[in-house]
Amino acid sequence: MYRRDWTDIIGGLLLLVFGVWFLWHAQTYYNLGEMRRMGPGAFPAGLGVLMAIFGLLIMIPAWFRPGDLPVPAIRPLICIIGGGLGFALVVEPYGLVPATFAVVCISALAERELRPVRTFILAVALAIMAVTVFSKGLGIPVPAFRWGSY
Amino acid sequence: MDTLGMLGMGFLVALSPENLFYCFLGVFLGTFIGVLPGIGSLATISMLLPLTFHVPATTAIIMLAGIYYGASYGGSTASILLNLPGTPSAAVACLDGYPMAKQGRAGVALFMTTIASFVGASLGIVILTLFAPGLAEVALSFGPADYFAMMLLGLVAAATLTQGSPAKGIAMVLFGLCLGMVGTDVQTGQQRFTFDIPYLSDGVSLVAIAMGIFGVAEVIGSIGRVTNREVTSQKITMRSMMPTKADWKASWKPMLRGTGVGSFFGALPGAGGTIASFMSYAVEKKVAKDPSRFGKGAIEGIAAPESANNAAAQTAFIPTLTLGIPGDSVMALMLGALIIQGIQPGPRLMTEYPELFWGLIASFWLGNIMLLVLNIPLIGLWVAMLRIPYSILYPAILLFICIGVFSINNSHFDVLVVMFFGVLGYIMIKLKFEPAPLLLGFILGPLMEEHLRRAMLLSRGDLAVFWERPISAGFLSVTAVLLLFAIYATIRGRNVAAALRRSAANNPPAGA
Repeated sequence: MYRRDWTDIIGGLLLLVFGVWFLWHAQTYYNLGEMRRMGPGAFPAGLGVLMAIFGLLIMIPAWFRPGDLPVPAIRPLICIIGGGLGFALVVEPYGLVPATFAVVCISALAERELRPVRTFILAVALAIMAVTVFSKGLGIPVPAFRWGSY
Repeated sequence: MDTLGMLGMGFLVALSPENLFYCFLGVFLGTFIGVLPGIGSLATISMLLPLTFHVPATTAIIMLAGIYYGASYGGSTASILLNLPGTPSAAVACLDGYPMAKQGRAGVALFMTTIASFVGASLGIVILTLFAPGLAEVALSFGPADYFAMMLLGLVAAATLTQGSPAKGIAMVLFGLCLGMVGTDVQTGQQRFTFDIPYLSDGVSLVAIAMGIFGVAEVIGSIGRVTNREVTSQKITMRSMMPTKADWKASWKPMLRGTGVGSFFGALPGAGGTIASFMSYAVEKKVAKDPSRFGKGAIEGIAAPESANNAAAQTAFIPTLTLGIPGDSVMALMLGALIIQGIQPGPRLMTEYPELFWGLIASFWLGNIMLLVLNIPLIGLWVAMLRIPYSILYPAILLFICIGVFSINNSHFDVLVVMFFGVLGYIMIKLKFEPAPLLLGFILGPLMEEHLRRAMLLSRGDLAVFWERPISAGFLSVTAVLLLFAIYATIRGRNVAAALRRSAANNPPAGA
């Protein structure tokens, strides 16, 4: 427990910053128009104002009450996102099977306990399934392997 | 044509081999994924959404609806056997379902869930059939100002009735509205918030948002948290599933009451299945002769909320299909899927696409019968699936999300966008923002803006149009009441959902 509710202070602050930026972007780059003929900037500008107000509404009371400091789980975050990025980078140049291995092997690092053999078996099984279901079954035009020119 | 004739035509549509197959596939996959621990129905639907892009609109929506009620059924299976609710609305099933499982009556609890779902859904369909056409007719007289006010009500209701603080709910709706602004402005063709990225000129993809926030973020948040607790080792046989005569006698009235409560709350904007099931649980506790049995394996505690949840799942389609206003985030996904297919839901949907509307209603019935037929013999399979450890499950889920989103445009850029929203969704989870209302804002944002601009154009910039028209004035006053109630609840230090939950789950309500 902390003296201030940092969860809501951070959340409110992010909303406030985002709202102000949204308002600034809308009225700088887009035409606001007038009441009888609202321009493309009017609605986003209004949203920005409301976002900022709600940011403050969430932030201010949180300053005066005890609460928690949110602690992100860094390892799962990096490994899961990394797995997805691995897929995105590998699937077009090298094909579906290497991409499957990238997802499974990178995301398996998210857990404290590493089980290399089980992960490998899982990757093989999922690769077989991915190729039969998606490439062969649903006809998604991505080959299992792609070597050489791309 | 009269309603019965239209319904007959709907059955012809739904009984075509292709639709029948996709309905079955939806129900099966929905239950299959919904039963897996830690995956809610929202995540299930968003993961399976790309599968429906390859089929015609009617087939797609039939399949999606099947996924939806399949997933919510699967969620209650996980609740009963593991005390691990996949969805908030399935949390009620834990209250009495898990104690029943511990008493060796898991089979009876699962069987009753199936029956109660079926009863609730069937009666919900009847109500949908009776009320939807009339509502659509009324809605035809709505002007742009009325639409704007109605959408505002829907958004405020969804935001204030969520779990957690109403201010944070509204903030999420606003954030969704902001995301909806990205892309080309319909009226002027101006590119907004696209930052010269050609990919963004059509707006952010609904699938990417849904998969990122509800799929990837949930996986990140669940690692190390979802552990496989002991699944009941009882053998679930046909014989063990048969309820006794006393069980039947105790259950049929709660099912009907649950259906009534569920149908009402399902049709309200912003309420949906979660509130419906908690409310019906509270009702059962109130009318019971001996309320102390609840929470210790009372069969009414499963039968009523389960039928309420499923009746609500059906009646939630009333505002979605006839007004184009989704009641909750699942309906927002359905609406989004229809829009992707090029169909704008609204009062004209029923006359312009009668085969879609009535085909969908007929498919509800067929789907629920399939659910019944599928689940009673397959419960053993679902129980076995609950034993799959999460460390095997999550790489598979992640892979499925990647392939699914990649397959939409065969572009790796979509995968990157999903990962971006995954990070964003994880930040929301950590900062205790309930992300579901975001989806409503995202879907309704562009529509709201369009109606507001049209209303202002018609009234020559006079805001008074909103309270001079009786319909919009009515919607706005309900919105104001909700907001006042939310402010009152915040000052009292509790929110609506928590208050409901407390009265349902804990001791008898104050004053009883």
